[in-house]
Amino acid sequence: MNPYFITANDFDAFVTKMSKDKKVIGPKAKKQKFVFGEIKSADHLRLDYDVTILPPKKVFTPTCQTLVTFDGDKFEGNVDNDGVILFGVHFYDIRGIDITDLLFRENNRDVNYLAKREASTIVGSNIQNVSKRSFWGSIGTSDSGPKGHDAFLTKMDGGYVLECLTQKGEDLVKFGNWSKASAAQVSEAEKINKDVMDKCSQKLSHSSSEIAEKVRNSFDNQELWSNLAEDCFSCGSCNTVCPTCYCFDVQDKWNLNQVSGMRNRYWDSCLTEDFAKVSLGAGSEENFRETRGERFRHRIMRKATYLNEKLGTPACVGCGRCSAACTADIADPVNVINKIMEV
Amino acid sequence: MSKPKVAFFDFTCCEGCQIELTNFGDTNFLELLNHIDIVEFREAMTETSDHIDIAFIEGSFSREEDRKRLEKIRERAGVVIAYGACAVTGGINALKNDRPDYKQCVYGKDAEMPHLDSQIARPISDAIKVDFEVSGCPMDKYEFLDIVSHLLHGKTPVVPNYPVCVECKRNEQICRFDEGDYCLGMIAKAGCGAKCPADGIPCEACRGFIDSPNEAALKKVLMERGNMSEKWAEKKTKMFTANLRSDAKTLGV
Repeated sequence: MNPYFITANDFDAFVTKMSKDKKVIGPKAKKQKFVFGEIKSADHLRLDYDVTILPPKKVFTPTCQTLVTFDGDKFEGNVDNDGVILFGVHFYDIRGIDITDLLFRENNRDVNYLAKREASTIVGSNIQNVSKRSFWGSIGTSDSGPKGHDAFLTKMDGGYVLECLTQKGEDLVKFGNWSKASAAQVSEAEKINKDVMDKCSQKLSHSSSEIAEKVRNSFDNQELWSNLAEDCFSCGSCNTVCPTCYCFDVQDKWNLNQVSGMRNRYWDSCLTEDFAKVSLGAGSEENFRETRGERFRHRIMRKATYLNEKLGTPACVGCGRCSAACTADIADPVNVINKIMEV
Repeated sequence: MSKPKVAFFDFTCCEGCQIELTNFGDTNFLELLNHIDIVEFREAMTETSDHIDIAFIEGSFSREEDRKRLEKIRERAGVVIAYGACAVTGGINALKNDRPDYKQCVYGKDAEMPHLDSQIARPISDAIKVDFEVSGCPMDKYEFLDIVSHLLHGKTPVVPNYPVCVECKRNEQICRFDEGDYCLGMIAKAGCGAKCPADGIPCEACRGFIDSPNEAALKKVLMERGNMSEKWAEKKTKMFTANLRSDAKTLGV
């Protein structure tokens, strides 16, 4: 597969042509923030974004997804096979997708996620602006780079380099006036992506394996967890904006005619009070994570230790969305983990 | 299966939840009538029925003489559903609960006229057993439909006990606090689809609190990030959730 170069002048025409031919989802402005949304022309696309409110996993597992529609005794599975070009994804979000890919593939293949995911093309892009709460520069190891993308775009003086990694990535070249990139342009792109790794203002103080061990060993320190969670609203915002959270709840809805309807799944949040509530039958119930501290601990355990062996990395990519979304500002993994490391 | 007999009753309220019901529009409302028999509805008919399968009650319980009427409804009804903020929590009526001079404030020189007499505003569940609730000011007609559908199919309705933040984030809204505003979405029960923040206004918790609202953290965040004075931050949740606050007991609720 080849690296290509396009001039800044030709880039807009490429985006516009590509978005006329395919459905393109990319970063767009929403007031002073950014969201992934449909790109219909080049002026929608904001590759200078710092971070989006929700991660791009929403394309493959929407916040509310209809799994089945029914009408009387008839029912039909609702699988979305329509591939899109997910364009302009920062490396930490590609890592998030790598993680949800693995989790939705293992055991029961989750066809409602995988059908669209496998039909889609992912194009990464370099980080032009670093978000205030991000700490992706200090998480994971050198071999935990992004894997699931088809091409990666890097902006540099005068234009963009597109490194194609798969045939799906290579197929995009036909939409624009791309030429073979020179060795100098390719090494310039590498340098840009390497240099940005030092630009986060926040850093974890220890390696992922040191953190995993210490966090796990802090499980029984109830005072620590209840102090950390003192101002927690159990609002689940940290879960809802997380690129690696993948829990969902399933509910049925009837239409007005009471005969037809649908079965939907919604993103769920382990910080909310009812998440771990189970029925014991006969109207009684048990909540196995009843306190704020237990729920707060569970999230940190899931992100910093429980999944590390399976994933080969922590289940946190350092995007900082949870830190920014938490109204009480207690969810920031850098603050929480650095504090745990000091105990 | 014969159609369940449904009745609507109103107590201390603006009857806005009945209006919300009619907002389904002719076609949809008539479709709903294929599945239920309305046997009592003061606004629309004079007939009554000895037996009711589902009684919908709107409004708060704010006069002792209403207790008898509520008990009679309970005796006749298989299922009682409180609908709308007033019926579920006492709603905005409960604003008066810590103002002993509310009658003078509202009625001035007529304050002592007997027909204006009322006590503190309480949820319907303070007078009779309530089986299900449809929260909100006004109630959400789709949630109403969802609860009726579940009952028609013999299922238990599932109502969220997570806060409005969940739905607001799912909608990918910019947080009100990031806009320099305040919001009560963190402690307010969801189910409304977080419509108010989507329209650029704060959540006022009209659906009531989640089960364990963190009131201390709310006060702190309203002061630190919502730029409220301590006094205002302390009082903020009296608008719709006066009866749910930890100090409500002192009001006799």
